[in-house]
Amino acid sequence: MEEDVQAVTVGTSRFFDADGFDPSAVSAERFPRTRLIQYSLALFTLFLVAAPLVPVLYQSLLSVPIYESGGTLNFDAYWRFLASPDFQTAMVNSLVLAFGSTIVGTVIGLFIAIAVARTNMPARQLVSGTMLLPLYVSQLVLSVGWFIMYGPAGYISLEMRDLFGTVPWNLYTLAGMSVVAGILAAPLTFILCIGSLRLIDASMEDAARSLGAKPPRIIWSVIIPIIRPALVYSAMLNFISGLELLSIPLIFGRPARMIFFTTYLYNSRGGSVPDYGLLGAAAAFFLLLITGLVLIQGRLLRNASRFTAIRGKASRPKTFDLGKWRYVAAGLVVAYLVFGLGLPLLGLVLRAFVEFLTPLMAPWKLLTWANFNIIFSNPIYIRSITNSILIAGLGGALATLLIALVTVVIHRSDFRWRKPLEFIALYPRAVPGMIAGLGVLWAVLWIPLLSPLHGTIWILIIAFTMRNIPTGYGAMSPVLLQIDNDLDRSARSVGADWWTTVRRVVLPIAKTGLFSTYVLMFLSFFKEYAAATFLYTRGSEVIGISMLEFWGIGEVGPAAALGVLQFVATCIFIFAARKILGVKLHA
Amino acid sequence: MPKLSVSGLTKQFGDVRAVDGISFEAKDGEFITLLGPSGCGKSTTLFAIAGLDRPTGGRIQLDGRVFFDGSAGLFVPPEARNCGLVFQSYALWPHMTVADNVAFPLRVRGVKKKQIAAEVEKSLALVEMESYAQRYPHELSGGQQQRVALARTLVFRPSLLLLDEPLSNLDAKLRLRARGWLKQLQSQLNITTIFVTHDQTEALSLSDRIVVMDGGRIMQVGTPQEIYQDPATPFIADFIGGSNFLSGTVATVTGNVALVSLPDGQTLSVSASPELTPGRQVTVSVRPEEVHLVHESDPRPNLLHGRIVQREYLGPRYQYSVSIGDRLVRFETVENLGSVDATLAVSPESCTVFAFNGKH
Repeated sequence: MEEDVQAVTVGTSRFFDADGFDPSAVSAERFPRTRLIQYSLALFTLFLVAAPLVPVLYQSLLSVPIYESGGTLNFDAYWRFLASPDFQTAMVNSLVLAFGSTIVGTVIGLFIAIAVARTNMPARQLVSGTMLLPLYVSQLVLSVGWFIMYGPAGYISLEMRDLFGTVPWNLYTLAGMSVVAGILAAPLTFILCIGSLRLIDASMEDAARSLGAKPPRIIWSVIIPIIRPALVYSAMLNFISGLELLSIPLIFGRPARMIFFTTYLYNSRGGSVPDYGLLGAAAAFFLLLITGLVLIQGRLLRNASRFTAIRGKASRPKTFDLGKWRYVAAGLVVAYLVFGLGLPLLGLVLRAFVEFLTPLMAPWKLLTWANFNIIFSNPIYIRSITNSILIAGLGGALATLLIALVTVVIHRSDFRWRKPLEFIALYPRAVPGMIAGLGVLWAVLWIPLLSPLHGTIWILIIAFTMRNIPTGYGAMSPVLLQIDNDLDRSARSVGADWWTTVRRVVLPIAKTGLFSTYVLMFLSFFKEYAAATFLYTRGSEVIGISMLEFWGIGEVGPAAALGVLQFVATCIFIFAARKILGVKLHA
Repeated sequence: MPKLSVSGLTKQFGDVRAVDGISFEAKDGEFITLLGPSGCGKSTTLFAIAGLDRPTGGRIQLDGRVFFDGSAGLFVPPEARNCGLVFQSYALWPHMTVADNVAFPLRVRGVKKKQIAAEVEKSLALVEMESYAQRYPHELSGGQQQRVALARTLVFRPSLLLLDEPLSNLDAKLRLRARGWLKQLQSQLNITTIFVTHDQTEALSLSDRIVVMDGGRIMQVGTPQEIYQDPATPFIADFIGGSNFLSGTVATVTGNVALVSLPDGQTLSVSASPELTPGRQVTVSVRPEEVHLVHESDPRPNLLHGRIVQREYLGPRYQYSVSIGDRLVRFETVENLGSVDATLAVSPESCTVFAFNGKH
C-alpha cells in the first residue's frame, strides 16, 4: 500500500478550541466495581472447589453421618478402612490396572505419535484425525463396545472359538483390563506427545545424523529425551486416569468379582444406610492419593525449561524415510485403529439394532428397533438424554463464562490473589469425578442453604463445572496469553476501567478461544458420568447413568442403543461446531 | 505552577532500580522528550505517568492533581487520569473498525451518540484518515495505523499526550515525514507532550526540552541546543551526536586558556575554568563536524597531526578516523584521501573538557 503521510498542513480546523466539548466532564466517577468483581469471582471459584472437598475430609473424621448433629472427630474410620481386606485388594487391583494401562497406552500412543510426526508413513493425516475422536467419546461407550466384541461371550471371541477352538484372551483378568484401558488411553498420550514432536528443531536430528547415528538410535537418544516432559506428563496423567477409571472395572471387573477402588466406592453407594465414616475415609484417602500424584507430576516437570529444544517457532521438521517399513508401520497403526476402536464401535452399533448378536446368525436376520423403543417409550430414559443435552449445552456455557472470567483475572489483571487463584483453578485435577460428586452431595446435605439444589440438574452442573475448571483453564490460557498486553493497556489509558476493558476488548478478541473452550466443555459435560453416580436422583439422570442401569440388570441392547445415541450426538455436535462456530478440534 | 511534575520517582524490580529517583517538570504546552538508550527507564517513567505501571516510590502530579504518591499510598488508576498514550505498537483493537476504535474513549465516557459521531469525524479529519473510518486496523499501513492511534488518543481531549516511540515502527523516509507532521500537530493543539525515544535526531528536532536518562537516572535536562553544545557528561556527548574523545593532562593555565598535553606529546588549548589546574587528568570531547582537515602549515592554533587509519564512504562525504595519541579522531570531508598523514584543526571553543570527578 502506498504510504501517504504527508507534511500535512493541519489547516484551520482548531481542534482543542473552546467549543464547549469536554468529555472528561461527562465521565462520572464510577463505582469501583473492579475489585468487587475480582473478589467475587475468586471467592466463587474457591467455594466451587472447596465445597466438595471440605465435607469429604470432615466426614472422614466424623463419627456420625455429616447431616446429623453431635458426633466426635477421630481417625477411627481410617483405621477401619485401612484394615479392611476389601480395601487392600481394591488398592492392589487399582494400582496394577493403572500401571498396566499406563505402559500399554504410552507405548501405543508414543509409537503412533512418532510415526505420524516424524516419519513418512502413509495416511498420516487420516491417522492423526481419527486419533482425536476417542477423546470426545465416553470411555463407558467404548468399553461397552469392547465387551460386545471381545468379552467372554463377545462376537469376535465366539468367532475365534469357532475357528480355532480357543480364545487367546480373557478380559475378565487384570492383564486383559489393563490392555483395554491402555488401548483406550493411547489417544491421550498421542495428543500430548505429538505437539512437542512436531516442534522439535530439525537441526537437532541433523546434528545427530551428521555424527553417524541411525534413525532408531536418533529416536531413542535424541527425540525421546527431548520430549520427556510431555511423556512424563502424559504417563502421569494416564496413571491417574487409570486409578480413577470406573467403566472398565464395572464392566469387566464386576463379573469376575474383582474389586477396585472406584467400584469399592460405587458399591458403597447402594445399601439403605451407607457407612458414612468409612465412605468418607475411603474418599479422603483416594483424594489425598491423587493429590500426591498431581504434586509429584508438577515437581517432575518443574525443570522442564531446560529442554529448550522445543521452541514456539515453526520449522518444518524433517521426516525419516522408513523405506518399505513405512507400510509395516501404517499396518500396525491401522490395526490399532480398526481392532482397538473401529470394531468395538461397530459392535456397539450392531448390538443396538439386533435382538442378540451372535456369529451363528447373520445380524440382518435379527434386526430390530426394540432397543430404541425401550428407551423412547420410557420418560425416564428420554429425560436422561434431554438432561445430558441441557447440562452440556447450558452448564457448558455457564462453565465457559466462569472459566473465561477466572482466566482473565489470572492473566490480565493486577488482582492481588491471582497466583493463589490459579492454584485453586488447577486443583480439581486432583479430584476424581466420583469424589467430586460425593463431595457436592454431602455439601448439599450439610449446608441447609444449598438443599434446594438436591435432586436438580444444577447440582450436576456444579459438580461437572468444578471437575472441568482445569480443562477449560488450559484451553483458555494460551488464547489470552497470545493477546498483546498493549491492547488492554491502551483501553485503560483512554478511560475504560478493568471490567469494561474485559468486556469490550479482551473477551471479543478472544472470541474464537471462547468458542473452542465451550465446545470442549460441552463434550466433557456430555460424556461425564462418574461425577453423577452419587448425585443423580429420579429426574436428574444423565445418559451414562441410564446406561449403567441397563448394564446392571443385564440389558446390553438398550445400553448399546444409548451408547449409539451418545456417540451420534457427539459427532453431530463436533460437526456443527466446525460449521457454525468455526471451531476445529485438533492436536 | 507546572503542568506536570514528577518528583523522586522510583521503580524497583527486586534488587534492580529501573527508575532511580527521577524528578522533572513540564510547563503547559511544552514538548518534553525522555531520551536514553534502551533499558534506561524512560518507558517505565512514561507508563508510570499514564498509570499503567505502578512505581515503588515518588510522586506524580498533573494540573495540581496527585496521581501517585508513594509515601501516602495514593494511586489513581489509568482510566481516571485522562492522559492520552500512543503505544509503540499502536495497539489498535483488531475487532473494531477505525471509527469504533476512535469512538471507544467517548463511549466509555458516556458521551451521546450524535456527539460521538461528530467528534470521531473531527478527530479523524485532524489526522486525515476520515475516508478510512470503516476499515479494520489490519487493512491499514503502519503510518495509517499510527495516525488512527493518535486520533483515538486525541478524541477525548487528554490533558497530557504521552508518546512511546511512536515513530520507531515506520521506515526511515516515512519517519521523517511523520516527525514533521507530529511537530506541527503538537504545536497547533498546544498540548503538553511527553515523548519517549532512543533516537537523538528525533529528540533534537521535536523537543522544547530534553531529559537525558541513563541507568534509571536523569543525566541532564535542557533545550536541544544546550544538550548538544554543552553536554554534561562524556556519555551525553557521545550519545547525542557522537563525539571524539581525547584524554590528557592539564599542563599550564595562562589567562583564560588551558593547555592540555596528550599522551603522544601534542598539545591542545582549551578554554580555562577553575577546575582545570595543572596536573589534572581531563577528557576533551570534540564533535566530528568541528574537526577540520587543514594544510600542514595552517596558521590556526590547535593543530593535531596523525595518520588516517580508516575511511568510510557516507554518500555525500567520507568519514575518516585519524590516530592521535591512543585515540581515534573522526572527521568528515568531501575529499577522497588515502592512508596518509593528516593535519586537523580544532578550535578551542568547540572543545568540551571533562575533568575527572566532575565537569570543568
